Amino acid sequence: MADPKEVKRLQTLAYEMRKKLITLCGHYEGIVHIGGDLSVTDLLIGLYHYGMKVDPKNIKAPTRDRFILSKGHAAVSMYIAMTLRGYFDFDEIMRTYGRLGSAFGEHPCKIQLPGVECSTGSLGQGLAIAVGLAFSARVKKETHRVFCMMGDGETCEGEVWEAANTAGSYKLGNLVGIVDRNKQLMTSFDGDYINLEPYADRWRAFNWNVIELDGHDMNSIVDAIDKIPPITNPKPTVLIAQTTKGRGVSYMEHQINWHAGSLSKEDTEKALADIEANYAKLGGGK
Amino acid sequence: MKVTWNFGSFLSARSVAGDTIIELAKKYPNVWAITADQGGALKQYKKDFPERYIDVGIAEQNLAGIAAGLALEGNIPFIFGMIPFMTMRACEQNRTAICYQDLPVRFIGTGGGLTSGAGSTHNAMEDIGIMKSLVNMTVLSIGDPNMVRDIMLLSMTYPHPLYLRLAQGKQDRMLYEPGKYEFKIGMGLTARDGKDATIFAHGEMVFEALEAADTLVKDGIKVRVIDMYSIKPVDKDLVIKAVKETGNVLVLEDHLTDCGLASVIADVFADAGVYPKKFKRLGIPQVYAGFGSGEELRKKYGYDKTAAASAVKQMLE
Repeated sequence: MADPKEVKRLQTLAYEMRKKLITLCGHYEGIVHIGGDLSVTDLLIGLYHYGMKVDPKNIKAPTRDRFILSKGHAAVSMYIAMTLRGYFDFDEIMRTYGRLGSAFGEHPCKIQLPGVECSTGSLGQGLAIAVGLAFSARVKKETHRVFCMMGDGETCEGEVWEAANTAGSYKLGNLVGIVDRNKQLMTSFDGDYINLEPYADRWRAFNWNVIELDGHDMNSIVDAIDKIPPITNPKPTVLIAQTTKGRGVSYMEHQINWHAGSLSKEDTEKALADIEANYAKLGGGK
Repeated sequence: MKVTWNFGSFLSARSVAGDTIIELAKKYPNVWAITADQGGALKQYKKDFPERYIDVGIAEQNLAGIAAGLALEGNIPFIFGMIPFMTMRACEQNRTAICYQDLPVRFIGTGGGLTSGAGSTHNAMEDIGIMKSLVNMTVLSIGDPNMVRDIMLLSMTYPHPLYLRLAQGKQDRMLYEPGKYEFKIGMGLTARDGKDATIFAHGEMVFEALEAADTLVKDGIKVRVIDMYSIKPVDKDLVIKAVKETGNVLVLEDHLTDCGLASVIADVFADAGVYPKKFKRLGIPQVYAGFGSGEELRKKYGYDKTAAASAVKQMLE
């Protein structure tokens, strides 16, 4: 069972992160992938603030856990989760995001922004790169894990399953996939055209250890992280997190038109009010 | 493998690459050999270094991603495979996972041009055009099998992605006595000097160019033959010098004529504003060439030694 105090701490961080996301989205005149940002918020807090061994003061430490955001369009979520961990300065993100010369762009770039492990943005490519990192760690006898967060939509890409096949065949127990199973693609819902179910069985069929969880319940997230087996496990692990695109903002949830967008002053106020109300329902961190 | 050197005799470039990767893996703990079910050259390597060998099955996109991941961790992965799948199936991964991050991945590709003998699915006519258009990618085309070793050795200190185009890799003509020449990325090699015309060639077409030059000697024509193994970056000074000194320029290549070395050479002299008297390109036209050996197809499409010799004569008329 997850430690209730730890869960409260993480819930408060997720609340702070949602406020920052909405603030940025309201401030920036261009579009932000706010729907997917909100569906991975709790998971990223779980990873950066509980599950992964990382040190923002020593971003090159060989012992650090590696993280690849395969769904690169959720970059803003990663920036903010990392900011709350002490990597970056939120004011700088507010000031520069998406602008000429900024390190903080719509998709993460490791060349522009040290601390990001891998540049991503073209969907379906992250897992294969994570497999490369996992092979390297195994041969060097390093004990860290490699985490790779994917959107469920990008797992339509063949390369994901090529990589899943390699990881299962080579028994890469140091590799952990996280799928943001929000059941929405950019322009349709899962099942409208493309059917992703039976989803967990697909991963099991590729010889992965599957852990299913509620990607918005911090107890469930902490429990799932605790269940990740040691790196000597003969299977890679995937956390399949049931999530909702736009989670926490009532007018965005289950809406196709909130894959990405920008917020008016009124939208911003309403979203922030929803976030306050949801946090109060959780006990406001108390 | 000990081989006696004789100009024009055969040696397998693929087996040179296979021997060299073992030599490198012994010396460097960060060298890997990886393949998508195309590890014919790696039979001994995978016995000697099973931990640093990955065969992903037939999955080139995934392989490119894994190469990027290995390189992000300070490794130098050598991808072994057939050119069309390495350069086209995985094109976007090569660009975005490898070149965008400027990672030191090495691509050892066999079956350059129409040498595969397996038809248009397996022919590699577009690869140089595709690979040279990727920012940060270096493109080399090697005919002389012993040169493969030299290039693989020097690649250990080269911090960027590097594509090595080989011909079929089974029967390759030896051109240069090992140890006698220095090869560098960004340099070309004057394999034969001459003042009447220059033939620029790469890969196994260098041998054809040298044979064409031999034929022309009988007519009193002295042809300079330049092995332009480094296509990107290209040796601009050598191009300009040849244009100025010989006037007539022929490019001979086993690649589409409109996006390979000929285009690179034309760019160089056009940008410099130094024009040849005559310029001719021989290679693969806009066609899916179909079946036959490399030699038969070169003859059919008019870019073998005979065609090269006639083209030079015509330029001098």
